[in-house]
Amino acid sequence: MKIRRNFLSGVAGATLTVTLALGSAIALAAGNHHGGHHGDKAAIGVPGEASEVTRTIEIKMFDNYYEPEEISVKKGETILFKVVNVGELVHEFNIGTAATHAAHQEEMMMMVEHGVLEADKINHDMMKMDMGNGKTMEHNDPNSALLAPAESAEIIWKFADGGELEFACNVPGHYDAGMMGEFSIE
Amino acid sequence: MTKTLMRVLSLGLMTSMGASLLPALAYAGTYDLTVDRVLIDTGEFTKEGIGYNGKSPGPVLRFKEGEEVTINVTNNLDEPTSIHWHGLILPYQMDGVPKISFPGIKPGETFTYKFPIVQSGTHWFHSHSEFQEPDGAYGSIVIEPEKKEPFRFDRDYVVQFTDKHPHSGKRIMRNLKMAADYYNRKQQTLGDFFSDVKKNGFSETLTDRMDWGSMRMMASDIEDVQGFTPLINGMGPEQNWTGIFTPKERVRLRFINSSAMTYFDVRIPGLKMTVVASDGNYVQPVTVDELRIGVAETYDVIVRPKEDKAYTIFGASMGRTAYARGTLAPREGMVAAIPEMTGRPLLTMADMGMDHGNIAGMDHSNMKGMDHSNMKGMDHSNMAGMDHSNMKGMGSGEDEFYAGGSGLTPAAANGGKFLSYADLKAQKPIYEHREATREIELRLTGNMERYIWSINGVKYEDAEPIKLQYGERVRFKFVNETMMTHPMHLHGMWSILDVGADKWNPAKHTISVAPGTTVYSETEVDAEGQWAFHCHLSYHADAGMFRKVVVEGGPKSASLTTLKEGEMQ
Repeated sequence: MKIRRNFLSGVAGATLTVTLALGSAIALAAGNHHGGHHGDKAAIGVPGEASEVTRTIEIKMFDNYYEPEEISVKKGETILFKVVNVGELVHEFNIGTAATHAAHQEEMMMMVEHGVLEADKINHDMMKMDMGNGKTMEHNDPNSALLAPAESAEIIWKFADGGELEFACNVPGHYDAGMMGEFSIE
Repeated sequence: MTKTLMRVLSLGLMTSMGASLLPALAYAGTYDLTVDRVLIDTGEFTKEGIGYNGKSPGPVLRFKEGEEVTINVTNNLDEPTSIHWHGLILPYQMDGVPKISFPGIKPGETFTYKFPIVQSGTHWFHSHSEFQEPDGAYGSIVIEPEKKEPFRFDRDYVVQFTDKHPHSGKRIMRNLKMAADYYNRKQQTLGDFFSDVKKNGFSETLTDRMDWGSMRMMASDIEDVQGFTPLINGMGPEQNWTGIFTPKERVRLRFINSSAMTYFDVRIPGLKMTVVASDGNYVQPVTVDELRIGVAETYDVIVRPKEDKAYTIFGASMGRTAYARGTLAPREGMVAAIPEMTGRPLLTMADMGMDHGNIAGMDHSNMKGMDHSNMKGMDHSNMAGMDHSNMKGMGSGEDEFYAGGSGLTPAAANGGKFLSYADLKAQKPIYEHREATREIELRLTGNMERYIWSINGVKYEDAEPIKLQYGERVRFKFVNETMMTHPMHLHGMWSILDVGADKWNPAKHTISVAPGTTVYSETEVDAEGQWAFHCHLSYHADAGMFRKVVVEGGPKSASLTTLKEGEMQ
């Protein structure tokens, strides 16, 4: 499972490939159809395979809203999301439930308070720091992309057969300002 | 209402082929306002006052960014009047301050304001003559932006707070001059003295009272003027202004504080409020449980009521002597419980600037506001290189915009998050950040007993204007040496409040300075002419906490003329 982050500006033409550790909490929860993060009953789906992609959906992240505002997917569909941050602030595209987003917002608040996340900048070096228990604040879960202005990323996601899913930006305040939308799974 | 609203496309309408060559299509709206004697019914009393188009508050003026507005203001009073467009960036001759921007509008005359709308957001307007504003001469302005807003909403309501008093403004000022504590009903009594003796001992209580006595002030003197009825959109607590919503809708509330003297602590029990704009400028969204709105400030918030029930909009006055109340409900006639007014503050010696040894809120090295218990398993020893100096204003502890140990520091009634100035970060800064070219110190001063309010110890009528040079960036240092909180309003140019966020510092038009604190704001001097700069508490401004600001050296400064009274353009 790989996510490519393309920097449209900044380091010219550089492509950074991040190999994900599937051991992270969200990935584990996501990988288990009957499990659930923070007590949610419905699964949010699993990271998908490129060979199974049936559709590509482009997601534009503005300050502070998405285009499109709602997304319809079919049961079990694997979708390639091409996400680009066209705003001037940091934004996230995260697939989850209202509860996983709420929990994630608390973590993001902590990142802001520690200067890891600035309004228009992600301090990746700081995110790699060991928080004392082997965990870091690295933001590379397969169900999300945290992007600085002008960055883009691709996410391949295989949806489950149901569930009340939302895509959301969990940068503090953004979700409440309306930077979230619902997936309808048909 | 006699308001006529005519919107025409002034450019390009006939030349659709050439439209793309034109700048944007410019709107030109014409608006008519009459200034009238009106009756104001608060639900508790009815009082004659002043309004616009036969009503107080006046209408909501709805403009569009980029529009060229023409506003005809007809004075139906038997005294001069004026209208100041609070927060709007415009040519100084249109700013509406008698003797500074124009001569005023004589009885029976019509003055035509004409200016381009170069911004968007929530603003308001009011008379800048005598005590017409406390008497009811105010309305609101909503400017629709050219671009999509950085948040979503399904409903949009103006929520304008005011503090209607049964006495006229003139009479209140006369009484304050006679006895500064005339309207201070929350004075500590002999009974308080004896209960404090029981609690704190005789000598401590006596020392405390003598300290206050020597300053000619009282610890309960947070609101100079009590006895008012708070209104929301002209409606008292019993009249209960109501905004309708459908559950799950996002509702934008445009809070405006058009009070003469009153700060409000605003909350909606059961709902979080996401602050998205301050003084008409977008801020990075911050979600809070409660916020304090100073006199003349505006805040836009988004709320999302999900249940099919009513919610109370509750605005307790800062001194907790009265409350404003309105309702958000799915249907007319529904009401929710009205909360108790809790947390009546008493000023402390810190609010007098007497307690400098204990300025906890200012000492960032201590970081008392941080709640380390929330930092799940973080190893702080590994955090080398983190810039802790950026961490001010965090968490739920001290607010650096209040003196350490201040009795005024607000706390949310539900124990949650109370908005601090430190939370306000510009969504999209108006100006490039740069070092200020010079600093001007403004000590906010007063003699409470004689009800004289001043700047650097000099009241307006005895003061020289503040001279600024066009193109400079001035840093104002406000040092509040009084026991009152002063909302300082500079006309014509933005006040970029220093919240320690450099380029993200928010641009405001009104900066509230709490007792015993020093607050900085910076102004890019980009508007020529002459402007008013004053405390927006009506009776403080009139008593002398007011300055004229003259901007020199602008491109058109040669044509800058001072209009004489009675001279019309």
